[in-house]
This record gives sequence, structure tokens and C-alpha cells, in this order.
Amino acid sequence: MARRGPAVAVAAATLALPPLLSGSHLTVYVLLGLAVMVTVGLSLLMGYAGQISLGQASFYAIGAYTAGLLSVHSLPPVLGLLAAPLVSAGFAVVVGVPLLRLRGHHLAFATLAMQLILLSLVARADWAGGAIGLQGIPRLSVGGYEFADDLSYAYLVWAALALTLLVARNIVASRPGRGLHALASSETAAAACGVPVGRYRLTVFALSAAFAGLAGGIYAFYLGYLAPGSFPVLLSIEYVVMAVVGGLGTLWGALVGATVIILLVQLLNTLGTQPGMPGYAPSVLSYAVYAILLVLVVMFLPHGIVPAVRDRSTRRTSS
Amino acid sequence: MTEFLQYLITGVGGGCAFALVGSGLVVVHRVTRVVNFAQGSFAVIAALTASTLLASGLPHGLAELSAVAVGAGAGLLVGLVAIGRPGTPPGASLIITLGLAVFAYAVEVLIWGDQPRSFAGVPGAVEFAGVRFQAHYLLIIGATAVVFAGTAALFARTDIGRALSACASNPYAAKVVGIDVVRMGLLAFGIGGALGGLAGVLVTPIQLVTFDYDVTLIVGGFAAAVFGGLMRPLHTLVGGVLLGVAQSFVAGYGNAAYQMEVALVLLLAVMLRQAVRTPVAEQEPA
Repeated sequence: MARRGPAVAVAAATLALPPLLSGSHLTVYVLLGLAVMVTVGLSLLMGYAGQISLGQASFYAIGAYTAGLLSVHSLPPVLGLLAAPLVSAGFAVVVGVPLLRLRGHHLAFATLAMQLILLSLVARADWAGGAIGLQGIPRLSVGGYEFADDLSYAYLVWAALALTLLVARNIVASRPGRGLHALASSETAAAACGVPVGRYRLTVFALSAAFAGLAGGIYAFYLGYLAPGSFPVLLSIEYVVMAVVGGLGTLWGALVGATVIILLVQLLNTLGTQPGMPGYAPSVLSYAVYAILLVLVVMFLPHGIVPAVRDRSTRRTSS
Repeated sequence: MTEFLQYLITGVGGGCAFALVGSGLVVVHRVTRVVNFAQGSFAVIAALTASTLLASGLPHGLAELSAVAVGAGAGLLVGLVAIGRPGTPPGASLIITLGLAVFAYAVEVLIWGDQPRSFAGVPGAVEFAGVRFQAHYLLIIGATAVVFAGTAALFARTDIGRALSACASNPYAAKVVGIDVVRMGLLAFGIGGALGGLAGVLVTPIQLVTFDYDVTLIVGGFAAAVFGGLMRPLHTLVGGVLLGVAQSFVAGYGNAAYQMEVALVLLLAVMLRQAVRTPVAEQEPA
């Protein structure tokens, strides 16, 4: 098990990192962790089940609103956090039964439509705060302990991400994981080998929604405020970019893709908000980064960064 | 009755924009099998270009035509990136065009900012059977009819159109008889860009356009194109007009806020109906 080495090193490094970070860097750490959680699910869905989702941010939003609404109505916040992935997954099962009949670009547009419908319904739902948003979400507390400062959220995200990666890794390594892999290359062939195609696709869809929902739940408590505008279609596209850039169907890919992109956008954001830069600079720079990275990776590293690096290193050791 | 006619005409006018964007998708998809996610961006770029040209004093007509040409140029550029490199599979091209649609945001915000823009269309109002409506709707409907007739004639009657259709039905055989498949694909992207640009230029006088209006257009256009299985322009026209009329009736008799949902639910319903009737094996890429 020599390949455990890098994972242990990254886990230790990320665990030691938060106390060394200043306030704004800690925020980036938390948001990065949440993005990785969503990307892991999407990477499974796109890489293993071969399905494109342009609506992954809707599961993130559902998780966030579930956690937010439950705790605003004075239920224990921890209940809200537990409900977030469950409600997201449940929603994915309900919409997945009809939608997963679709393939390729049809499914891409269907998930996009799902998110647009959801956003517009939430914006009109007064019980969810409407377009103004849901305010006054309390901080997360478990038992007597309240997650009050950013540092505690950093560790909460770390733990949730570790759980997500563990679940995803075990599924990939299992028999259903191999079935999924077969399904990605040819559905007909997989079905002929006895893979229950429909059920597996639905399960991965629900699982990716659960990961996004859990991330959304943490996001709600971390920010304390939710609005439909926080979950635009562009956010779903950003997750696709992270998954594709890192490498679909690899957990390391989700981690690397999200990290590379978020740090790069953060760096350009700092650059763009320098005095003397025009007001539109940060948004222009971040759109350009997402777009250029996505296009370059699809054209020149079609399997993503992580598989490309791995291939190169195995070639070197074998020669 | 007058209300009914009023909603009908505004609906047909709005639907024409979807039909034009959708027909751009169809032309590109027929020839290259790529679903061009940047199709809505061509409309936005052309609309914003036209607003700038008009503001700088160019006369109506010339400004709009130049903007459509800019749309065609943008289409060609997207095509060069999406299919210019041999061996790019259509699935990867979808992701590439998605990336280029986001890139268009960067360009649009850089040049035009993020505020909505509009410009005046055909001035005045027309009265027909006791209903008054903006004369601009007549231009939209007329231009769309001419363009669809022109596209149909292009595909059916000209050599270029036959070459495009040949690439659509069998790229390998087309290559064997000496048709440059990549060049035909780029031509399709250029035509798609012009069609998208035309939609943008026509719709701006009745609809404020912001840089992210492309999502509405691409979803509506895709919904229209799905009526014809992304292959048949005439079905796309019917689909787009139906969509526009349905939206207009919902807005008129029901609640204007639910306009968007009408398009989306219709899109989902049509796709699901088609999926149920097609066996899985036929949907898988060969």
C-alpha cells in the first residue's frame, strides 16, 4: 500500500494548516473544502456514470436551504446539517427517475433546466426568504459546543471532506464501482454483463447530490445568510470546470482541480481589486480563468491534470 | 378576442428569436454533431455590438447587418477552437463550447460592462383586426420567415448545401468524395453565428439584453431545436413559435413570473417523450 503515502501527507498538511492562516485565507480554506466536496460527487457522476450535470449547484442550494430553514425554525442546527445531504439525495432520486432516461447533451440541458426552475421557485417562495434571502441562520452547535469562529469551521469542513472522500473511495473500489466504470464506456455492454444500469446511475446521482447537500449545509451555517443569487448557473459550470480540469473519475482530480482553480481565481481576485484596476476586473479575470483553463485542458489534456501527471510518472519509472 | 390576438402576435415574435437560435444549433449539430453551447452568446455579442454601432451614429440597417457579421465571425472563431483540432470528439466539443460561452462573458463585461442594453427597433405601432402592437414584431416575423426559407433553399438547392448535408449524414463518405469536412463544419459554425446574431439584433428592441441573457436564449433555442431532434430546421421553427406563444399566453392570462418555467418544463417534457420512444442502444455514440 505504497500509494497511501501522498494521501496521508496531504491529510496531515491540511490538518496542520488552518491555525497558520489569517482571516481571509481561512475563508478561502473553508470555501475550497466545500467546493472539493461538490466536485468529488460531480467527478464520480461524470467520470464513472458518464453523465454531465450542469445543475450540481442546485443540490448545494437544496442542502443549504434545508439546513438554514430547519435551524431558523429553531430546530437544533445539527439536525439541519444531518438533513441537508438526505434531502438533497432524496430530491435527486425524485428528479433522477425521469431525468436519467436522458443522455449526453440532453441530460446536460435537463439538469440546467432543473436548476433554473429551482432558482426561480425559491426566488418566489416567501417562506424561504424569496429573492431577498434567508437571514438569521444560527451558528452550528453540537451538544454544548458552538462552531463560532472560522477555525472551527475549517476543521468541520476538513472532517466532512475526509468523510466524503472515504465514502467515494470505498464505492469506487467496490464491485458496484467496477460496474459503474463499465457503464461509463458502454451502457449496453454493462447491462449485458448484468450491471443494474438504471439503479447504479440513480445511486451515483443521489450520492453526488448528498455530497453537494452536505457541503451546502455547512455553507449555510458558515455564512448565516442564503439567497437564490448565491447559487447561479455559473456556479454549476464552475464545478464542471473543476472536475474536468482535475481529471474525471479520480478523487485526486477533484481535489487538485478545485484547489488549482480556486487558488488561481483568488490570486487574480487579489490582483483585480488592486487600486487602479477597473471595477469589472475581478469578474472578467475569473470568467477568463474558468474558460481558458477548461478549453485548454479539454483540448490538450483530455483526461485532466491528475491522470496526465500520473501517466508521465509511471512511464518514467517503467522505462 | 383582441387580447388573444395581442398575446398571439407577441408570442410569435418572441418565439422567432428562439427559433433562430435553435436553427443555429441545428445547422451546427447537423454538420458536426456538436451541440454548440455558445450559440446564445452570438446573439448577445451581436446585440451589444449593434447598440454600440447605433450609439456611434451608424444608420439602422447597416448597424444591425454589421452586428450580424460580427456574430458570424464569433461563430467561426468558436468553430475553429471547438472542431479545428482534428479528432476532438463531439462530447469534448460540447464542453469546449461551454468554456467559450463563459469566455464570452469575460469579453462582454470587459467591452460593454454588466448593465442591460437596448436600442430602438422599427418605430410606431400597427393596427390589425383591432389589435395594436409594435411594428417591430412584423420585422421579427418577416425576417425569420425569410431566413428559414433561405436556409431551407441553401440546404436543398445549392452545392454547398448538399455538401453540408453530406457531412451531416456520413462524414466519412463525404470525405471520400472530396468534401473538406472540417471546412464545412466551420462554415456551419459561421452560419450558426449569423443566425444567433440575427436573433440578438431582432430581439433587443423588445427585450433588454445583458451579458448573461445567453442562458435564456440557449435554453429556449435548445427547447425549440429539440422538437426537431436537433436535426430538422422546420420543426425547430414550429417548436420555437409554439414555445413563444405558450410563454406569452401564460404571461398574459396567468402569471408573467412563470414565463421561464413554461419553456423549461416544455423542454423537459419533449426530451423525456423522445427518450422514452428511443431505445438506449441508439442514443449511445458509436
